[in-house]
Amino acid sequence: MSVISARGLHKAYGSVRALDGLDLEVERGRIVGLIGPNGSGKTTALKAMLGLTGLDRGDLSVLGSDPVASRGELMARVAYIADTGILPKWMRVRDLLDYVGAVHPRFDREVAEAQLDATQIDPHKKVRVLSKGMHVQLHLAIVLAIGAELLVLDEPTLGLDIIYRQQFYEGVLNGYFNETRSILVTTHEVREIEHVLTDVVFLHHGQALLSLPMAAIADTFVKLTYSDDIRLPAQPLSTKRTLSGIESIFRGLPREVLAELGVVSTPNLAELFVAIVEQGHA
Amino acid sequence: MDLWDPTLPIYLQLRARVVHHILSGTLAEGQAVPSVRQVAADEKINPITISKAYQMLVDEGLLEKRRGLGMFVSVGAKERALQDEREIFLTREWPKVLARIQNLGLDPAQLIKGAK
Repeated sequence: MSVISARGLHKAYGSVRALDGLDLEVERGRIVGLIGPNGSGKTTALKAMLGLTGLDRGDLSVLGSDPVASRGELMARVAYIADTGILPKWMRVRDLLDYVGAVHPRFDREVAEAQLDATQIDPHKKVRVLSKGMHVQLHLAIVLAIGAELLVLDEPTLGLDIIYRQQFYEGVLNGYFNETRSILVTTHEVREIEHVLTDVVFLHHGQALLSLPMAAIADTFVKLTYSDDIRLPAQPLSTKRTLSGIESIFRGLPREVLAELGVVSTPNLAELFVAIVEQGHA
Repeated sequence: MDLWDPTLPIYLQLRARVVHHILSGTLAEGQAVPSVRQVAADEKINPITISKAYQMLVDEGLLEKRRGLGMFVSVGAKERALQDEREIFLTREWPKVLARIQNLGLDPAQLIKGAK
């Protein structure tokens, strides 16, 4: 059973179509990256999956349930971290743990405290005085202690310095993720999560332009770097001139064919996104 | 930030790192290799990629799984890795080096003498 199964999601805000037929699948034990520019529908998609917004049309199931109708029940099994600190600022860290322990059926306080012991966070301090990095550390500690089956991350490292960003993904991979859990993550820092992902979805104008396991990218796309204007065996998705030569990205061409023409490599997600979105405009 | 060569899949690069450590002795026979989870957190790569590299090393007889304990360097792994690497050198790398030597008009015997 899929953790998230979305078919033909539509959602409009007035004349703006935020979701325009989005299909998305998240299986257990996968880390899926939802990559898209501002206004591509990422936030609306996440909100829909968390049951925070209804849909105009489409079928959406999260952990087997309708997220709007079963929101209360799903919140025991789904966790969410956003770039805007959403923990109550007026609470002390210690009191926040008491509170979560009282309202959340699965909260394991020892796990949260062990996580916090590894940070500089003083449990007697109020959430308000924590730095942005500490706020995220605290949130992650609570999420790990809940052991949610699905973790939704919306720009989780936005505004954090490099140390906190690295620690965040270290914490997620070491403390949270395993083959029974799933992560759906959106971010602009594509390079940072490129290798963390098991699957990628490119979102554009509320639709999935590409949906692939990361392991399939090398079989589907090839970047060719060559020096002179040669006759290309097929129309590339994109071409750009760089210091290292001319770079073209191809879809569905065998590596062996291209290897005779120059240096072949696998495009990174940022390059691929630009190539596919530009082609969409062409 | 990107330490990976975009011309090769990451699991192959991970495999090569482990082989390198086995050959250099950094990973001794019988010693445990870091857990999938540990490598994932350290390198910020997904665990499936690491499992794939480890599985390949298991298939090659360089690592072995011990139930509940993790992955270990097999007894005889160093010798096996050395044989494989020699084979790769002799069949793939040496012919290229030899061709280059001949292109440059150098005498292989002289070069080997000088290296001794």
